[in-house]
Amino acid sequence: MRMTCAVIGLALLWSCSTDGISPEGNAYGFQKPVNFPAATYTFENNSITKDGFELGRALFYDPILSADSTIACANCHQQVRSFSDPVHRFSKGINDVSGIRNAPAIQNMAFQNHFFWDGGVHHLDFVPINAITNSIEMAEKLDHVVDKLNGSSFYADKFQHAFGIREVNSQKMLFALSQFMNMLISADSRYDYYIRNDGGSLSNDELQGLTLFRAKCGACHATDLFTDQSFRNNGIDQTFKQDSGRQRITEFSGDRGKFKVPSLRNAEVTFPYMHDGRFRTLEEVLNHYQQSVKDSETLDSILKQNGSLGISLTDDEKTKIIVFIKTLTDQNFMKDKRFSNPFKK
Amino acid sequence: MKKLYSILFFLSITIAIVSCSDDGNTDANGPITLEFDNIVGTTNLELNTSTMPYTNGKGESYKVTWLTYYVSNIKLKSADGTVFTDPVKSDGSSGYYLVDENDAESQEITLENVPAGDYTEVTFTIGVDASQVDEGAQTGALDPAKGLYWSWNSGYIFMALEGVSPVSTETDKVFQYHVGGYKEDAASNQVSNIKTITLNFNGDSAPVRAEHEPEVHLLFDVNKFLNGTGEQVTFSTNASRHSPKACADLSGNISAAFVVDHVHAN
Repeated sequence: MRMTCAVIGLALLWSCSTDGISPEGNAYGFQKPVNFPAATYTFENNSITKDGFELGRALFYDPILSADSTIACANCHQQVRSFSDPVHRFSKGINDVSGIRNAPAIQNMAFQNHFFWDGGVHHLDFVPINAITNSIEMAEKLDHVVDKLNGSSFYADKFQHAFGIREVNSQKMLFALSQFMNMLISADSRYDYYIRNDGGSLSNDELQGLTLFRAKCGACHATDLFTDQSFRNNGIDQTFKQDSGRQRITEFSGDRGKFKVPSLRNAEVTFPYMHDGRFRTLEEVLNHYQQSVKDSETLDSILKQNGSLGISLTDDEKTKIIVFIKTLTDQNFMKDKRFSNPFKK
Repeated sequence: MKKLYSILFFLSITIAIVSCSDDGNTDANGPITLEFDNIVGTTNLELNTSTMPYTNGKGESYKVTWLTYYVSNIKLKSADGTVFTDPVKSDGSSGYYLVDENDAESQEITLENVPAGDYTEVTFTIGVDASQVDEGAQTGALDPAKGLYWSWNSGYIFMALEGVSPVSTETDKVFQYHVGGYKEDAASNQVSNIKTITLNFNGDSAPVRAEHEPEVHLLFDVNKFLNGTGEQVTFSTNASRHSPKACADLSGNISAAFVVDHVHAN
């Protein structure tokens, strides 16, 4: 009896490790970087498995999610730019239409409290629904996506492996996409090696930049996620007529013009910047904070201290802050084969 | 020794199986059905009529094209004070019901395995509470593919009433009231439009037994929803509402629009 158990146990272990991939350590499980805060995702309801992750990866790169099968998540969220849009200030949805907000990077999602520039969604599982159903993005209906997936033998097998079901439902589809996105952790930059005492070092200019960054930017771009996840009006407009930001969600005038503080990880490559992508370079961003912050009722108090607008910055300080921000670029993340297009061999 | 292991092994499995199937399932348990019947005043609600058969409190004629709402967290109180709580699962797979006027079956919510008793009161929630959405992707009645998930402002439409009125200034003279919003938060002034409603059976009781299948017949009156004390609706302004605050006053009409009409002991 014990022998039989042992043999079955071995067989189970064996079947996990004979599918052609040799994971290094925990390559298909969630691992929190030591310098990150606690994860927010409900892993107890949806833990990551290799099959679930691979299903999510396929869905992420498959235009089947859109109404006319032309747009995949990866169209506007490309790995080479930390899963942001490399080309457009406003991404193109089906029929070439575009919206009013810049596609943000998809990185370190397991640690977020809110999603989208206005924080309208606060659980990762629901995030893809916006892109799938928005008429200017994928313009599809969720029940129709489920029907299409149910008609595909490719996905029937994948859902069978990942969740033990042959009939697809939206919950399992969203679980798979979350498993893929939860694995998109960027914590392998030069800064990370430095801060974790992991054999990395920063130059003198970069270290000075770090000190300046903490003093001038760190109140909002806080923690090693480089965002405090709050909603703030950073003074880029006075009236916010085109996009009221957080107010759209809370219907509260005190939230007018507030947008979620973005992470600055991989900021070097996630241009253009701000919710509407109005700035092309990091220099323009810092120039804004130094000299063109606009006053309004909801302007963040940090940007209006002692009656003067903006953040005091010299040219030298701006240069060093940018030098530091570039140490947050994580090429290993952007080249990680686990996250690449599975349909491209 | 080997034999002893085998015996212990099968014994433990047998215990596991027995203890699972034994859980709360006594012979005295039975089902009960809550029927949600939608009406307008004294007449039964009919969708997509060719005329405008109904009139609201402002004297505006209208017809209804869609009515749907979520019922959840059902509790039944018996005459001796004991309360049965319909189990709710965090992924929405049980305890949540979507009543849709287009689907007669959806209007009869049957709770199985209710302990025997003479029930005299029902409590239920119209809406979907925050904790459910915080648990992640949902299934069952809460499957977002059912079309009542609010993607832009995460949450569910609790109740949707749509129709047509000649006085509406919206395209095709439609009105659309999508009541939702659960994120009550004083700091940002957000509202919760979730309503929990308790109704007694007007002195009657519903006897749940193994051999009885009582049915509680509830009514939802569209006119009471439009003409309540929270807001008296006119279709002539603000007839397209799709946000929590836009429906905050209107949601005050929900509770009084539900009544228990009668109980079939069966």
